[in-house]
Amino acid sequence: MITDRIGSGGQWRRLGAVLGGAAIVVAACGGSTAPPSTSTAPPSVPAATAGQSAAASAAAPSDAGYTGPEATITYSIWGDPQELKNQQAIVDAFHVTNPKITVKVTVSDWEPYWDKLQTSIAGGDAPDVFAMDGPLFPDYQGRDVLLDLKPFIDREGYDLGQLADQAVADFTTPGGQFGLPRDLNVVALYYNKKMFDTAGIPYPDDTWDWAKLTDVAKKLTLKGSDGKTRQWGFYTETTDMENDWSELVWQNGGDIISADHKTSLVGSDQAAGGVQFLQDLIWKHKVMPDAAITDALGDAFEQGQAAMEANGSWLVATHLAAGLDFGIAPLPTGPAGRATSINPTGAVVYKGTKNPDAAWAFVKYLASPAAQTKLMELKASLPANKAVLAGPFATSFDGAKVLADAIAYAHLKPSFKGFNDWTTALQTELDANVFTEPKKTAKQALTDVLPKLDEILASQ
Amino acid sequence: MIRRRRGPASRRGGGPLAGEGRWAAAFLAPTILGLALLSAGPILATLAISLTKWDLLTAPKLVGLDNYGALLTDDRFLKALRNTFFYTVVSVPVGLAIALGLAIALNTRLRGIAFIRTAYFLPVVTSTIAVALVWQWIYSADSGLLNQVLGLFGIPPQKWLSDPTLAMPSIIAMSIWQGLGVNIIIFLAGLQAIPSDLLDAASVDGAGSWARLRHVTLPLLTPAVFFTGVLSLIGSFQVFDQIFVLVKPRPTEATITVVYFIYENGFKFFKMGYASAASWILFLIVALFTAVYFRSQNRWVHYQ
Repeated sequence: MITDRIGSGGQWRRLGAVLGGAAIVVAACGGSTAPPSTSTAPPSVPAATAGQSAAASAAAPSDAGYTGPEATITYSIWGDPQELKNQQAIVDAFHVTNPKITVKVTVSDWEPYWDKLQTSIAGGDAPDVFAMDGPLFPDYQGRDVLLDLKPFIDREGYDLGQLADQAVADFTTPGGQFGLPRDLNVVALYYNKKMFDTAGIPYPDDTWDWAKLTDVAKKLTLKGSDGKTRQWGFYTETTDMENDWSELVWQNGGDIISADHKTSLVGSDQAAGGVQFLQDLIWKHKVMPDAAITDALGDAFEQGQAAMEANGSWLVATHLAAGLDFGIAPLPTGPAGRATSINPTGAVVYKGTKNPDAAWAFVKYLASPAAQTKLMELKASLPANKAVLAGPFATSFDGAKVLADAIAYAHLKPSFKGFNDWTTALQTELDANVFTEPKKTAKQALTDVLPKLDEILASQ
Repeated sequence: MIRRRRGPASRRGGGPLAGEGRWAAAFLAPTILGLALLSAGPILATLAISLTKWDLLTAPKLVGLDNYGALLTDDRFLKALRNTFFYTVVSVPVGLAIALGLAIALNTRLRGIAFIRTAYFLPVVTSTIAVALVWQWIYSADSGLLNQVLGLFGIPPQKWLSDPTLAMPSIIAMSIWQGLGVNIIIFLAGLQAIPSDLLDAASVDGAGSWARLRHVTLPLLTPAVFFTGVLSLIGSFQVFDQIFVLVKPRPTEATITVVYFIYENGFKFFKMGYASAASWILFLIVALFTAVYFRSQNRWVHYQ
């Protein structure tokens, strides 16, 4: 997910889309950090294994293992009214299997969501369960405000292997497990079938590389009689690494940040080469709209003015709603091979919750096949549950399998303490000097901003 | 026996009656309580917070004046200060001059004048978000109204909001347009309070319309200019929402302002102490400018 969701129209929509799965329970304030009592639920059986149907697993014991006292918990998510409606449906289904737990859902837009979350935690009155963006997880977990779910997992023998591995890992620390993934998103290549048909060009497939992408994008960039471009060959956003310059960095053999999160790696030739490829698509080949045009136009692909778009799986519903006839292909391979980005949204529990057992039961439910199947119907993001991913999801719409398969070669979106601070410094440099105007080469801009980036990492 | 006549006349020269004092206190209480609880308390709290390193979620650490020292060498903060100064220095005088000119023009008995006055006030009662969305379209680099109009004269399209040299002036233009109504209303009230006998006397003495404006109207309007000046000055230093909405996805070095910097550090970067220190620097700057401005009034403000 992104740092600044107040971006273009596409980002707003994406914001909404990402909301789709968040399961966050906010608990009224309190200081309970006690480990789960051993007297409550009997160990439950992991809900689903691959191949098992979602319907069958909906009634699995792990969805209904709560035997504690009646409890009301709060669950905060970011999103729009549609997301709230969908999450409410999941919450209602949860209440049917767990009648003793009432969940109250609250929803905010992306920016105020985090403002409110921080102040409510500071005031000791945070939601019991709340949605957590993968990249921002360390900023919260590192400040000791999240409940470790490992004691619950161990107690029940809950099988984390039923959830997508990278998505689980994003909420894992050396000592614990501070959340379960609720949904996830990957980035792929959307293409407008009509534009390809009109030009007589075969659709993108898994044989494509950067050269092929550039070549076809040039052929599909059409100018009107006034010399203005009326159809772009390619579109993506430049204002967040996830869509899609971090993928280009990985495809070129570079990386973003060191494993210990102490050193920024974006200054390398490989990383700069990935960013340079994107700058060239805009300013050298002129097959992609620049930032000023995107500010005004929004998502050119969604507007029917671009033939291809590298962007996240959260856009499927948006593109369908726009009435586009589109297909989905893997991102083209770069000099160092194939790569995309995966970013999970997690459901985490406030450390001060008064109802840790009820919160755990709800978080577990959000990751269950029953809830994940409901979530899947939104087409807002991918389910995090492997059984749903490989089963019903992969056949739920044209291209869904491409998205599900992308998880296998996806890199986790970087996630570290100081993420917002670091990305703001980096994007400010890239926006001003590389993408909005080609004032510097990617290498020069990244070299210039590197000391500032490492200074931010050192101050965390 | 001498009976003192009771009534308003007898009170002149003395202080308010005891009963009046109580009433005054009662009427003032809501405001004073509100200020004390909701403004003074938090303001003092930020002073304490500014001396700490605090991420809002864990216990603050006392760091003395470190935040202030770091701010003075923080390139982004210095750029935010520079942009905010630029915004203020341009938007306040230009905004007041345009409002004054329009108020004088609107101070006539034309058919439909009430409608025209209302039209100027409409942007004031429209939320900045809505205004900014419309201006986003006006400024749009691709198909914006402004570029289309300029195109009729052969002027090439400009990137009003993403070109570093044009972005801040574009934002200032929108802000001036939005704020005009308030200043016009105050100026109109001031103009209509000018006694017509003074203007008539000036006419009799042979003053033309320019001389009447220059020597009678403007001097008598200086209290209104002073008042709107204070409001504009303080408001300009706190510019935030235009930036928040208009500049996507985030302000650049050419458009970040001090209040945006405070918001960003406090709520996105987990640096509440740093943000508090920045807000105190802003507070001191605003206080200094306001104090200088107040002291200047002896030299140019004429109270009747």
